[in-house]
Amino acid sequence: MEDERIIDEGAHPENEKKPGETDYKKSESAVNEEPTLAEKNRGIGFRIFRFIFFFFVTILVAFGLVVFIIYGVPQLKEMGHGKKSEIARNKDLTKDSNYKKQLGIISKDVQRLSVKFAGYTSGQSYIVVNTTENKFYLYKNKQLVREGSCSTGSYKKLQTQSGKSWTFKTPRGKFTIQSKRTHPAWHRPDWSFIEEGEPIPPKDSPLRWEAGVLGDYAMDLGDSYMIHGTIYKRFLGMPVTHGCVRLNDEDLEVVYNTLNVGSKVYIF
Amino acid sequence: MESEIKKEPHRRVTLIVFLSIILLFVVYYSVMCMMSPGKKLAVLRTEYAAKSTEKSSIDKQILKDSGYLKLMKEKAFLQSRIAMAESDSGYITINMADSSANLEICGVVVHKAKISSLKISKILSETNENAILSLLSKPFTISGSTATIMKEPVIVQMAPKDTSEYKPDVMPDTTLTQATNYILETNQGVKIYVYQEEKDKMNERITQLKFDLDDKLKDTWSSLKSVASLKVPEYNLFIKIRLPRADAKIFYRAIPKNGQIALVN
Repeated sequence: MEDERIIDEGAHPENEKKPGETDYKKSESAVNEEPTLAEKNRGIGFRIFRFIFFFFVTILVAFGLVVFIIYGVPQLKEMGHGKKSEIARNKDLTKDSNYKKQLGIISKDVQRLSVKFAGYTSGQSYIVVNTTENKFYLYKNKQLVREGSCSTGSYKKLQTQSGKSWTFKTPRGKFTIQSKRTHPAWHRPDWSFIEEGEPIPPKDSPLRWEAGVLGDYAMDLGDSYMIHGTIYKRFLGMPVTHGCVRLNDEDLEVVYNTLNVGSKVYIF
Repeated sequence: MESEIKKEPHRRVTLIVFLSIILLFVVYYSVMCMMSPGKKLAVLRTEYAAKSTEKSSIDKQILKDSGYLKLMKEKAFLQSRIAMAESDSGYITINMADSSANLEICGVVVHKAKISSLKISKILSETNENAILSLLSKPFTISGSTATIMKEPVIVQMAPKDTSEYKPDVMPDTTLTQATNYILETNQGVKIYVYQEEKDKMNERITQLKFDLDDKLKDTWSSLKSVASLKVPEYNLFIKIRLPRADAKIFYRAIPKNGQIALVN
């Protein structure tokens, strides 16, 4: 037993309890283990730092994944697929009669289609109107002979209390000059009176006729749309009209003299 | 204190399992998406290539010949233009080989623009593919569009009650410019992206980024839905072009809502 005690002592000499000493030592070690205020603060600081670090890492990883799904995956789709066949000029093939025949057929087709397509562009005079930029281009014998500013539809939608409405836009597409006039007078439609808050006169009223506002010439495109002159020259190059195409006096004269009844008008 | 210690490994396991599931889903999603072009090509082959072989008796060797293919493409493009010329409204032709885009009305080129940059689906660039040749040989019809500009910039104005209320029109401000980017979706499943060339203003860059992100989010959402239901997502063939802002605006405003587009590469 004594040997055992000695061995035990040797193994744990500090654990040996002496009467009256035990409580003091225990309380001393307890005091030593208790963290100081600075240590406590350091611990909280570390926890906050760890939390912020993991928070940002999580955000970054999530953001990375989202970016990969949105931008990366579509790129992956384009990385290659399908089995490619080779295109090449085979010299032996060019001597083959079947090949020559097929090539001849297709060449003729291309030629025929090219001629047909070229035929769409008239050798006669025509005018092109760009409503986005308010410009016009006059062509004669497939050559540009004049270009300049014009005014086209304002895209204003005039609405009455009763619910009637008119949208002032220039129609797009292919049109033809249906008639040509000199010193045209304007027959004011209903919207013209409504727009200015005036009472609407009867259809045949002389109050509807107004002279001098359309310039010296007018070319009718149908549905009351015209190419004509203007007294509002400062607005040329801007979208301000009720749907007609306005030109300045000099351009209007050239256009009037170049285009004939039946000439094409391309508006885009 | 003890319960906290016990919770820690449990939390870690949950986190690892959660992250693994997410990663697995991302991998699965990526694989499914990578399969989508192949599926699209297979669909195109059954839809287009079969028809063309039925019609022609040309053997496979001729179909691989560059000279023959060049003529075939030229013929297809002309056929498309002629078909579109029959209508009275404007349409667009995009020639990817010479980087040009034209606006035509009834066969007459009314506006030309130079494409400054071009990016197309890898499938579409495979010109040796018979199905793609057949697909491009007919004009595309626009089925919908998304844009940063209005197609028709309509301004509503109430009519004055009498002459005292009437105010003459003021000069419109034509100096204002808007970022011009749009996507034209076609019935044939090809999406045509048109971006403005100018990148000088920061707000325009942001508008483009936002515009692009919106489209990508829409695509991603639709893909995620397909993948979640164990289907290979739909693959959209695309053509992305950059044009000067003015030209891009002209093209967008000039073509009708269901207008047509012809392509050649």
